[in-house]
Amino acid sequence: MANPLRLYLTCIRNTLEAAMCLQNFPCQEVERHNKPEVELKTSPELLMNPVTICRNEAEKCLIETSINSLRISLKVKQADELENILTKKFLRFLSMRAEAFQVLRRKPVQGYDISFLITNYHCEEMQKQKLIDFIVQFMEDIDKEISELKLSVNTRGRLVATEFLKQFV
Amino acid sequence: MAAVSVHQFAQCITCHAWSPDHSMIAFCPNNNEVHIYKLLEGKWEKIHVLQKHDQIVSGVDWGTESNRIVTVSHDRNSYVWSQEATEWVPTLVILRLNRAALCVQWSPTENKFAVGSGAKTVCVCYYEQENNWWVSKVIRKRHDSSVTSVAWHPDNILLATTSTDGKCRVFSTFIKGVDVKNSARASSESKFGEQIMQLDLSYSWAFGMKWSPSGNMLAYVGHNSMIYFVDDVGPSPSAQSVAFRDLPLRDVLFISERMVIGVGFDCNPMVFTADRRGLWSFLRFLDERITSSSAKSGSQISGKFGKFYGQSKYGSNDTVETSRTHGRAHENCITNIVPLKKPGDTAVTQFSTSGLDGKVVIWELQSQDDLSEYL
Repeated sequence: MANPLRLYLTCIRNTLEAAMCLQNFPCQEVERHNKPEVELKTSPELLMNPVTICRNEAEKCLIETSINSLRISLKVKQADELENILTKKFLRFLSMRAEAFQVLRRKPVQGYDISFLITNYHCEEMQKQKLIDFIVQFMEDIDKEISELKLSVNTRGRLVATEFLKQFV
Repeated sequence: MAAVSVHQFAQCITCHAWSPDHSMIAFCPNNNEVHIYKLLEGKWEKIHVLQKHDQIVSGVDWGTESNRIVTVSHDRNSYVWSQEATEWVPTLVILRLNRAALCVQWSPTENKFAVGSGAKTVCVCYYEQENNWWVSKVIRKRHDSSVTSVAWHPDNILLATTSTDGKCRVFSTFIKGVDVKNSARASSESKFGEQIMQLDLSYSWAFGMKWSPSGNMLAYVGHNSMIYFVDDVGPSPSAQSVAFRDLPLRDVLFISERMVIGVGFDCNPMVFTADRRGLWSFLRFLDERITSSSAKSGSQISGKFGKFYGQSKYGSNDTVETSRTHGRAHENCITNIVPLKKPGDTAVTQFSTSGLDGKVVIWELQSQDDLSEYL
């Protein structure tokens, strides 16, 4: 199990390394503006072809690059209803606190669970390698986190049920 | 080591330029100011801060003849600074731009300078004596996207530009009353703004471009990890594209007719050389230890032997690097490369690089034995 995941993450890591060649670039369309081109998409020549990396239907990753920004969107594995709800709630919790993460986007791109937006300013302030490490680490941890949550929900469910049914014996 | 000195000046440097005698450096620490540092008794001290722009300064160039500094900024303005006594006095240049200015360069005789902009135009500015004013002439409707880099031909007329539409263009910038007509040169025949050549080699954005010292050749880089060498600039140019396996470059510098240094996202200058037939290829990274004399000794075994021998003898420290940038002179993308040429020198053997890590590194090529034949 660990091996295919490792390959998936290595592929994402290498793609990010090549994609994260960003630079300060002022807006061509609006005077005195400097906005992430990947969000505005005003000039098609400033965008690169988006890359999708799929592990399977449930798990994929979309990397969109432009001259001064990069957007990476993740779809997290959701095997059943419970995982679906847990993922939704957990990632919503994180997105609400996007400021604390700096590179997290407040809203995920449509069709994905969570998105990161990396601009040239992040690359100036932080080391590129650490940024990539952060995203890959995040992906590694998210699966673990969700399955842990699922376990604890199940355990609690069982406990509550036992306590409740005790009154009938 | 090829890097002879490393100075951490700021958090992040967007551009830098040297004074004519190389005792002072002007750079933008990623904000609206330009700082001038001077080497005093072996230490760099801040002596001036040029504050006039209100957005990030994107380009700075220091004229070697006139000792004037020109700065351009994302706020659409440009200033020419001249030194009077101990102060730097700014003169506003009305560029007539409605978008950010991205790059600037003095022409070789320093009577003009060119500014590339996000308005898809290039401004060529010259000084008008009677009005005491810098006048800007604009080359419009030639570029399909932002102009990322400008470079002057040594003849002071031809101007090459690269743009984010991936094209490289060469224009004539002959201005009546500023330039003298010279019948020996074909380039002075054409009018201002006339396009001499357009090259459509890159599929991606084109950046940093330079002319070779003789002006016969042109080199520029594409964001698709390619470097392009253009010969016979004119109606029928011939070009060579060299692809390399590493991250894209941002800027290039001709050391001689046969050697080019490229800098970029790999944080390590790359050396490209031309062989006797004029074919260009990637030689090696500059910032790495030369593993003994393997390049020259021909035999691989003797090369390896030399390496081990050297290790045992000097207690080598060239262990395998865990990270790409670890232990290198630069730790983030290098955005700028400037030659350090003393007035009397014929060849460039020193140059400086600056990058997003806020360091200015001076490199020396004379100590590199394997490169000496290309100098």
